[in-house]
Amino acid sequence: MPASEMAVEVSGLTKSFGTVHALRGLDLTVPTGEVTGFLGPNGSGKSTTIRILLGLLRADGGRATVLGGDPWVDAVRLHRSIAYVPGDVTLWPNLTGGEAIDILARLSGPLDPARKAAMLERFELDPTKKARTYSKGNRQKVALVAALASDAELLLLDEPTSGLDPLMEAAFTESIREVKAAGRSVLLSSHIFAEVEKLADRVTIIREGVTVESGTITELRHLTRSQLTVVLPRGADGLARVPGVHDLQSADGHVTFAVDDAALPGVLAEVARLEPISIVANPPSLEELFLRHYGDELAALTNGGQK
Amino acid sequence: MTATLTAPTAAPVRAGAPADALAGIGTMVRLVVRRNRVRLGVWVVVLVGMLAYVASYYQEIFPTQASLDDFAALSDTPGIRALTGLSPAADTLGGAVWTKSWMTIALSLAIGVAFLVVRNGRADEEAGRTELLRSRMLGVHAYGVASWLVNGALCVVVGLGVAFVSASGGLDPDGAGVAGSLVLGASVTGVGLVGLGIGAVAGQVTTTSRGANALASGVIVGCYVLRMIGDLGDGTLTWASPIGWGQEMQPFGANRVWPLALLVLLAAGLLGVAAALEARRDLGAGLVPERAGRPGAPERYTAPLGLGLRLQRGPVIGWSVTVVLCGLLFGSIIEAMNELIADAEAGPAQDFLRGSGVDALLAMLASMIGLVTAVFATQSAVSLRADEASGIIEPQLAGALSRRRWAWQRLAIPIVGSAALLALGGTILGAVHGSLTDDASAVGTLAGAALAYWPAVMVLVGVAVALFGWLPRLAIPLTWGFMAAMWFATMLGEVFGLPQWLLDGLPFSAVPYVPAEPMAWTPLLLLTLVAAGLAWSGVERFARRDVQPG
Ligand SMILES: Nc1ncnc2c1ncn2[C@@H]1O[C@H](COP(=O)(O)OP(=O)(O)OP(=O)(O)O)[C@@H](O)[C@H]1O
Ligand SMILES: [Mg+2]
Repeated sequence: MPASEMAVEVSGLTKSFGTVHALRGLDLTVPTGEVTGFLGPNGSGKSTTIRILLGLLRADGGRATVLGGDPWVDAVRLHRSIAYVPGDVTLWPNLTGGEAIDILARLSGPLDPARKAAMLERFELDPTKKARTYSKGNRQKVALVAALASDAELLLLDEPTSGLDPLMEAAFTESIREVKAAGRSVLLSSHIFAEVEKLADRVTIIREGVTVESGTITELRHLTRSQLTVVLPRGADGLARVPGVHDLQSADGHVTFAVDDAALPGVLAEVARLEPISIVANPPSLEELFLRHYGDELAALTNGGQK
Repeated sequence: MTATLTAPTAAPVRAGAPADALAGIGTMVRLVVRRNRVRLGVWVVVLVGMLAYVASYYQEIFPTQASLDDFAALSDTPGIRALTGLSPAADTLGGAVWTKSWMTIALSLAIGVAFLVVRNGRADEEAGRTELLRSRMLGVHAYGVASWLVNGALCVVVGLGVAFVSASGGLDPDGAGVAGSLVLGASVTGVGLVGLGIGAVAGQVTTTSRGANALASGVIVGCYVLRMIGDLGDGTLTWASPIGWGQEMQPFGANRVWPLALLVLLAAGLLGVAAALEARRDLGAGLVPERAGRPGAPERYTAPLGLGLRLQRGPVIGWSVTVVLCGLLFGSIIEAMNELIADAEAGPAQDFLRGSGVDALLAMLASMIGLVTAVFATQSAVSLRADEASGIIEPQLAGALSRRRWAWQRLAIPIVGSAALLALGGTILGAVHGSLTDDASAVGTLAGAALAYWPAVMVLVGVAVALFGWLPRLAIPLTWGFMAAMWFATMLGEVFGLPQWLLDGLPFSAVPYVPAEPMAWTPLLLLTLVAAGLAWSGVERFARRDVQPG
């Protein structure tokens, strides 16, 4: 894809803090007009990546392009078109939330008062309270309102919903859909799988500073496994050896196993041959995939070349 | 499901002090000691060591009674009276050592203990650590009282150390036992305890540790200025200040013990007030409840300078008031001292004054305005790193704002503000003094004398910025450490045998001592160049390095 279709393009990014290797060759793309989910366990390097994309940190190696520019060299020019929501929102304790929103929003361009008012209403935020008296969720909302009230082409969101209640999460989802409809791009780092599943077009999963999985949600679903429970009165003869079947357990004719979605047709044909009298299938969930990637199965999965 | 109405079993909300207010205090004492053991140790070693050093040095340079008599005669200047107080027994070894070191030790201990109390009180509360502690088996007062006990113990240990060093160093006059040494130690402890009380109350009144530190040090410095005016006048105002009470214990002279009772009573009263306030207020709250504010920000806050001015409004107003008060007070006392000021010949003991007479006193007062301004400028310059450390800088730099623009606009506050404060203080000092002596030229002279400190203040700002750029994680303690080291070197440098070229090269010593000395432009130009170089290198480094929160 040509560069102009990519809001963010990162390849082989490395960054160390002394002896800590936070990033070791990370790849990431955010296509223009799409929402890209950015997932990884604690300490895997998500915030570090986003802070490099903002020019707050300087990468040690690799390439990073943001809106066609170099995030370190062209920081100020690029920031006119970027809105950022940090994972840990620090505000000026003795300024009000409304003041903080105006200051932050105006730093990247003129502020649209109507948009600000609409966002304040949507997120039910009282802008006259001093930041020191806000709850955690309300501090988060200040950063969100400031970002969403702007016209930024690219939104870099680092765990933007941590601390929001379910109603506010719904408001956030709605806002991101609007952003996407307006053709703007979003990089969304999150630990909430459901949120990513709902909003993201593409997902990049990283672990220990390296990208381990990257693709559209549909592509990733193919890497997941469905859970099948079948009742086979004649026994599960040979089923465990069928390619794509994992963790087979059988008791009293109830047979439970996981199937790679890619191998589903072949496995179902085999099950049919065994004359099942009942079959229950649990659909694949992204959460399962993420958990497998977060955990130690990762090595096996990537080495197995399933990608 | 059926809903049943049951009688309420929860206890009604009760007024009054919570029970078991001191539960868990043992653990808390251990925590406070553990967290502060290095600081506590450093304070004891530095303060007691300072006395030991001055004592042994004076023993060496004043070997005879004649030399001590000379010291007493030559020290009887308004400058010495103002800065450190003059011992009524200045012609004894103990009195000479007292004159040189007591004020520094007592003042440092009072401010140091106040800061330590804030650090273990309001600062923890602000950071949310106290909340975690209080959720365990811990009484409302346990943490506070534990910190008071530890810091009170620090005052006592320093006092005992001082008494021990003094007695074993033979500071007491021959045949007088060790009464003077004991009174000396007790006076240091007493002033320290008052500092403890002031810090404890300050931590209850404000919601931020910065505010508490500013309030506490402001009150302590106010006490110092009160006694200063008292010592220069008829001594009445000396008795209005707890630091004055400590002075009036007059170790090696009258050896009074009863002012110690005043000090201890005041300290106890302050702690009582602090405890009463703590029992009444919510965790995290101050005395003034938060009010609602504006729903939006004016356009000027978008520029770092406008926002910086808004955020530093409190300090800027506070320091301006301080400087105006200094100018008014200093200006009005000089005239009243005319008889006191005899144009005595200069002598080696006039360490602080570099001369004598009215001009030397005026020059010294101008340098004090310079010192006050230096604290403001350093505080303001250090806030660059504070904003980076708290992470508040990141959303700003994520906007279309270059790091250089951010840094230089923020630095405009200490750069321009210092010049304004110096001009203000010098002008008022000159106007008051001039109007009392019918000398219209005093305004210009003293405004110039104060403004001559601007380049020196800028060197401190430059050091702060260079450290911010190159050593961000250590910048704040190192900057204050540099300032303290400079101050110690100016006060005690020759005692510690620092080479003269180094002492003369310190930013504040290099400034011409106007009006006692003629204005000299070369050192001012050099200082300005050094300051500009340091600041430029710091900002350039900041523009090129990672933003490092934490
Ligand atoms: N300034 C720093 N100095 C030293 N190490 C750092 C610094 N910043 C980050 N790290 C380290 O880099 C690694 C990546 O941290 P990062 O904050 O990017 O993780 P993350 O993916 O955002 O985690 P989380 O999900 O917990 O937010 C961690 O091991 C962290 O300890
Ligand atoms: Mg993070």
